[in-house]
Amino acid sequence: VAGALAVVAAWQARGVRTGIAVAGLAAAALLPFVLGDYPVHVLAVACYYVIMASSWNLIAGYTGLFSLAHHVFGGIGGYASALLVIRSGVPVPLGIVAGGVVAGVAGFAIGALTLRMRALYLALATWAFAESIRVVISMEYGITRGDLGLPVPKLFHTVSPRPYYELFLLLAAVTVAGLAALLRSRIGYRLRAIRDDEGAARAAGVNTVRWKRFAFTASSATAGVAGAAYGHYIGLLSPIGMKFDEMALIIIMVILGGQRTLAGPVLGAVVVEIVSEALRAYGQIRMVLFALVVLGMMRLYPPGLVGLVRAAAVRLTAKRG
Amino acid sequence: VDATLLAQYTLAGLVIGGIYCLMAVGITFIYSIMKMINWAMGEFYMIGGYVQYLLITAWFGPSRWYLALPLAVLGTGLLGMLIQRVLLRPMFVDQVERLDEYATIVTISLTVLFRNLAIVVFGPYQFSPPDYAPRVQLGPLPLNGSRLVAFLGTVVLLGAFAFVVRRTWFGRALRATAQNRLGALSAGINLTRVDTWAFGIGVALAGAAGALLAPVFLVYPESGALSTVKGFEIIVIGGLGSIPGSIVGGLLLGLVESLGSVFVSASFRDVYGFGLLLLLLVLRPSGLWGERVREA
Repeated sequence: VAGALAVVAAWQARGVRTGIAVAGLAAAALLPFVLGDYPVHVLAVACYYVIMASSWNLIAGYTGLFSLAHHVFGGIGGYASALLVIRSGVPVPLGIVAGGVVAGVAGFAIGALTLRMRALYLALATWAFAESIRVVISMEYGITRGDLGLPVPKLFHTVSPRPYYELFLLLAAVTVAGLAALLRSRIGYRLRAIRDDEGAARAAGVNTVRWKRFAFTASSATAGVAGAAYGHYIGLLSPIGMKFDEMALIIIMVILGGQRTLAGPVLGAVVVEIVSEALRAYGQIRMVLFALVVLGMMRLYPPGLVGLVRAAAVRLTAKRG
Repeated sequence: VDATLLAQYTLAGLVIGGIYCLMAVGITFIYSIMKMINWAMGEFYMIGGYVQYLLITAWFGPSRWYLALPLAVLGTGLLGMLIQRVLLRPMFVDQVERLDEYATIVTISLTVLFRNLAIVVFGPYQFSPPDYAPRVQLGPLPLNGSRLVAFLGTVVLLGAFAFVVRRTWFGRALRATAQNRLGALSAGINLTRVDTWAFGIGVALAGAAGALLAPVFLVYPESGALSTVKGFEIIVIGGLGSIPGSIVGGLLLGLVESLGSVFVSASFRDVYGFGLLLLLLVLRPSGLWGERVREA
């Protein structure tokens, strides 16, 4: 107990925090050796959502661009990679990289198109973009097989979820670490300055146009890689994954965990995915519960789960000291 | 394409476009008063449909649907007022950081809540209330009775709405709030009350659309999704915050969809609106009638 308290006390020190993150990552990487196939699959999907939620947090939470098309960038990456692999026979890993590039280009275009829009119009425009892409993909039977779904070649030649889990864990770790480094750099300060007051940021010499486009491109490319890898894991892509419910799920994860924190989307995605698998037998009640929790949180406790953990840590150390 | 068929499709397009207007006017009305977008509009449409269906089957019977209608509208409106009081009022009372973001997150959570609640309570089934009226013959043109009823209902509701906004003291308070919240406040207008009523009226319009269209588009948990899409398309076309814009936009969308499915292809029906919308976003981002200001 004393050891745990000491750990909590040192929570604020960055070195220790990085140490905890690395230790947690190592422990997570060893999980497949103790767990069965099904829990490992759930965790792999949770890692996919960690990437989606974290990269959305970069544009919505840190840059203040409330995009509603993030799930579709994942889908674009998935379809781009799958079609490339099927049509031209390139190796799957190359396809995944290409998926990230295509999604990044799409993100750059949307970022450029919506540069001058203020929050509500940006949300509307990205939402319209997302819906049009979904409709087009479900209509283009010839290329995407529409609502029938597109069978995708698998990345590893095995039915076991274990290698996929390690891959998604790695991708999630890289995403979160990259995000942490980005936010600590000058770019991170520029993005937050844009979020807090775009006019003031421009006056202070921040090239708002460039960095907004950058944020959109980076987060879309990340989502594209995640979506491509996910497609090659599940083995089937369909426009259903591009429905607005998917975006709502990402929002719920980020808000539940804690917006504008690094750990928030990670915690939110893992908790939501695990709880929703645990409650699968109860059907859609789980979504009702998540929505209620998020509404309650928005209304009463905006810092989210991370805020809760932090407050508990502060109280514990205060008692101790 | 012969003239009768063309006239028939034009008529059908105008009728359905007129009904789309209800959704769009509701969205744009809430926006102009509260400066927020209600993403859960389609869910209020869905709730209106369910209330209407339940009242018809359990209580009034299929021939007295017109008695259920006001109750469905009233119920949706009251629910909206309650939600405004509990969830949205803190936007204006406490210091909520980033107003529009708070409203977006709350209303998107509401869509998840209501959609899944409908699945939990009623199941994923489609309910179809009986037609409100038999097929009507307008000269040489046949028209589905329920659609005609829905269109007439829309005209009556929008007429009443316009009367309240233009001719009453309360409407003047609404218009003042839409122009300048601080100015309205300093003129002694109770903004909390105006917001509550505005949100209630806005979602009641969606509920009315849902109840009126219940026999046409059926009642099921995701029935609101398509109507939200149409509503947002219309307000982007017509311009956010403009009521004439949303009426013209609604009729235009109905026409484009209907004529597009004759001349090009019926299976791409839902794409035409998006095409129109993306075109406008690029060429004229404030819509046909929208306010010019693009930055906060």
